[in-house]
Amino acid sequence: MKLHARVGDYQGDVDIRIEGSRVFAALDGRTYELDLQRSVDNGLLLVSAGRVFDCRVEGQIESGLPVDVSVGTRCYAVTIADPRRLRSAIAAGALAGGVARIMAPMPGKVVRVMVEAGAEVEAGDGILVVEAMKMQNEMKSPRAGKVVSVSVEVGATVNGGDVLAVIE
Amino acid sequence: MFRKILIANRGEIAVRIIRACRDLNISPIAIFSEADAAALHVRMANEAFCVGPPPSAESYLGISKIIDIAKRANAEAIHPGYGFLAENSEFARAVAEAGLVFIGPTAQAMEIMGSKTNARRAAIEAGAPVVPGTTEALKDFAEARTTAAQLGYPVMLKAAAGGGGKGMRQVAAESELRSAFEAAQSEAASAFGNSEVYLEKVVEKPRHVEIQIFADEHGNFVHLGERECSIQRRHQKVIEECPSPINDADLRQRMGEAAIKIAKAVNYVGAGTVEFLFSDETREFYFLEMNTRLQVEHPVTELVTGFDLVREQINVAAGRELSFKQNDVRWQGHAIECRVYAEDSENNFLPSPGKISFLRVPAGPGIRDDSGVTEGDEVSIYYDPMISKLAAWGRTRTEAIDRMRRALDEYAVGGIKTTLPFFREIVRDEEFIAGHLDTGFIPRFNERSRERASDAPSSSLHQDLAIIAAAIAYSENQRKASGNHLPQRPSKWKISGRAKTLSRIPSGRAPQFNE
Repeated sequence: MKLHARVGDYQGDVDIRIEGSRVFAALDGRTYELDLQRSVDNGLLLVSAGRVFDCRVEGQIESGLPVDVSVGTRCYAVTIADPRRLRSAIAAGALAGGVARIMAPMPGKVVRVMVEAGAEVEAGDGILVVEAMKMQNEMKSPRAGKVVSVSVEVGATVNGGDVLAVIE
Repeated sequence: MFRKILIANRGEIAVRIIRACRDLNISPIAIFSEADAAALHVRMANEAFCVGPPPSAESYLGISKIIDIAKRANAEAIHPGYGFLAENSEFARAVAEAGLVFIGPTAQAMEIMGSKTNARRAAIEAGAPVVPGTTEALKDFAEARTTAAQLGYPVMLKAAAGGGGKGMRQVAAESELRSAFEAAQSEAASAFGNSEVYLEKVVEKPRHVEIQIFADEHGNFVHLGERECSIQRRHQKVIEECPSPINDADLRQRMGEAAIKIAKAVNYVGAGTVEFLFSDETREFYFLEMNTRLQVEHPVTELVTGFDLVREQINVAAGRELSFKQNDVRWQGHAIECRVYAEDSENNFLPSPGKISFLRVPAGPGIRDDSGVTEGDEVSIYYDPMISKLAAWGRTRTEAIDRMRRALDEYAVGGIKTTLPFFREIVRDEEFIAGHLDTGFIPRFNERSRERASDAPSSSLHQDLAIIAAAIAYSENQRKASGNHLPQRPSKWKISGRAKTLSRIPSGRAPQFNE
C-alpha cells in the first residue's frame, strides 16, 4: 500500500506491506523489516533487528487528518494521506498549498478574536483566544499569510478539532 | 479516634486521604460533583454523596451542602485536602459550629495568615526575618512612589489577599511604577475582591525554600525540615525536593526555628508550611507567607523523614499528642517530586482534557506515584489539570534524579497530552543536575531547551517508525472497513425479495435456483 506521510516539515511517501506479523516498509529509499505485535488500545510493538520500538497510535486514524503516534517516550503528529481517496487528495492538496487551519485544541469558549478576514498576519501573530480550564490560550498563526476566514465569534463555544480560522 | 471522616475534596489528594483513613481503620466518606460520579476517589470510598453540578462553585465549594452531607453520614471530622475550602476560615468555623472537627488549624490562625500584610506583621512580631517592605497596604500611588524609592528598585508589588501570582508585579524602575501599581490593584480586585497592594524589595535570584511544621493541641511544635520549590512556572511549583540541594544543617535549624516562632505566634495546630525566600549570595532567608494546610508537595518530606503527614494530621485533630518529638526527626536521603499535568508542554502548556485511553504507571525502587486517575478516566475541563504526583527517593540527590529519570521514561499516558516530556528534559538538564536553582530557573531552562532543539538533529529513525506505525494502523483500518462490505451470507433483503417473487409464481412451477 502506497501512502503519503507528513510529520511537521517532513513529507514523504511510505510503501507498506503487512504479512501476518511481518511488516516491510520503504520510506524515501530507507527500507525496514519489522516484527509486529499488536496489543489492546492501539498498541503496536515493532521490533527491527532486535531493537524495540513501543508505539501507540492515538484514536482512529483517517486519511488527511493528523494523529498522535508515540514511539517510546517520543510523540509525533503524523498525517497519513491515501492517494486513492478523493477526500485525502483534497487534504494532500491543502497540505501542499500551505493552507493553515487554526483548530481548537480542546473544548472551550472563544474570549477574543484579534484578526478579521482579509488581514495579513506574520507567523506567531495571535489570531484568537480560547478559554478552557480557566486558562486563556492564545492561538497563533503558524505561518505568514492572509486570513481567509474566521469562523467563530466572541462567546462561541467550540469543540476540540473545530476549525476556527484559515490562513493562506 | 474518629470512626468516619468526610473528605471535602477530589482527585489525587482525596485518594491520598482515603489511604490514611484506611491505615487508621477509619471509614472514608467521599463527596463528588456530577462530573466525578465515577472518579477514583469515589470508587475507593466506603460512602459517597453527590454535592452538586460540575462547576466547583456549585459543588466542592458548597459549605452548607458539604456540612449537611457530613452530618447525615455521621462523619465526625472533615478533611479539606488542599485547594477548594482548605484555607477558607468561614468553612473551618462552620464545621466547628456544626459540632464536627475540622482537620486543620483554627479559623483565627487561617485568617491571620490569609492576609499577606497581617502575616508579615505576625512574622515581624515573632522576630522572624521578612523581606524589607511595607506591613500596611499602600494608600495611594504617592505612597507607593516614596516607599519604592526608599526600598530601592527593583521592587515587587503584591496583593494583600494574594496567592498564585495574581496581583503581583515586579517593577524595575520608577517610570514603570504607575502602570504596574494600577494593574496590580485591578488584578487583585478581580481575583480576590480586595484591591489592596503592598510593596517588597526584590530578592535577586531567590530560591523558594519552605519549612514543614507540625503542632498539636498540647503545645508541641516541631519542624520537618525544608522543601525546595524554586522550579516554578507562572508562579506555580512544578518540581519540589527535600532537602534543598543547599542541604545545610545549620541553615535548616535556623529556618526551622524561625518557622516555629511564626507558628507559635498564631497558636497554630496541625500541619502547616512556612515559605521563605533564600538568597544564595547573602545566605539570608526572608519570610514570604504561611500556608495553613497540607501542601501538594508533602510526599517528598514523607519520603525523607518517614512520617505519614496525613495520618499525623488526623491524630492531632483527634486531640492526641504528636507521635514524634523534634529529636526523633531524621532526614534520610533525598526526594524529588514532579507534578504531572494534563497540559501540552510542547504546545505552550495548553490544557489537554480528555479520556485517558492508556496508562502505564512507573514503579520499582524508590518510586511513589500519587494519582487520582486510572485508565479510562476523563480529565474534565472543570478542575485543576494535575493528574498525578510522581516522587522518587534515593540515598543521594544523584540517585533520586537517576530514579526519577527512569520513572519518567517508564510513565506512559495515552489519549491526553501531559507535562511528562517537559520533566524528562529537566532531569537531564545540567543546571538542574548541578542544583543551581532559583525562581528564574524555567525561563533560563526554556532558553537552553530551544538551543538544544536547534543543535540536535531530529531523530529520523524514530520519526520513520512513527510514520510506519501510523501507516500500519491506517492500512489495518482500511482492511477492516472493506472487509465489512463483503457480504458473508446472502443478504436478508435478497432472500425476502426472492421469497416474494416465488410466492407470486403458482406452485408446482417454481423455478430452480442454485445458491
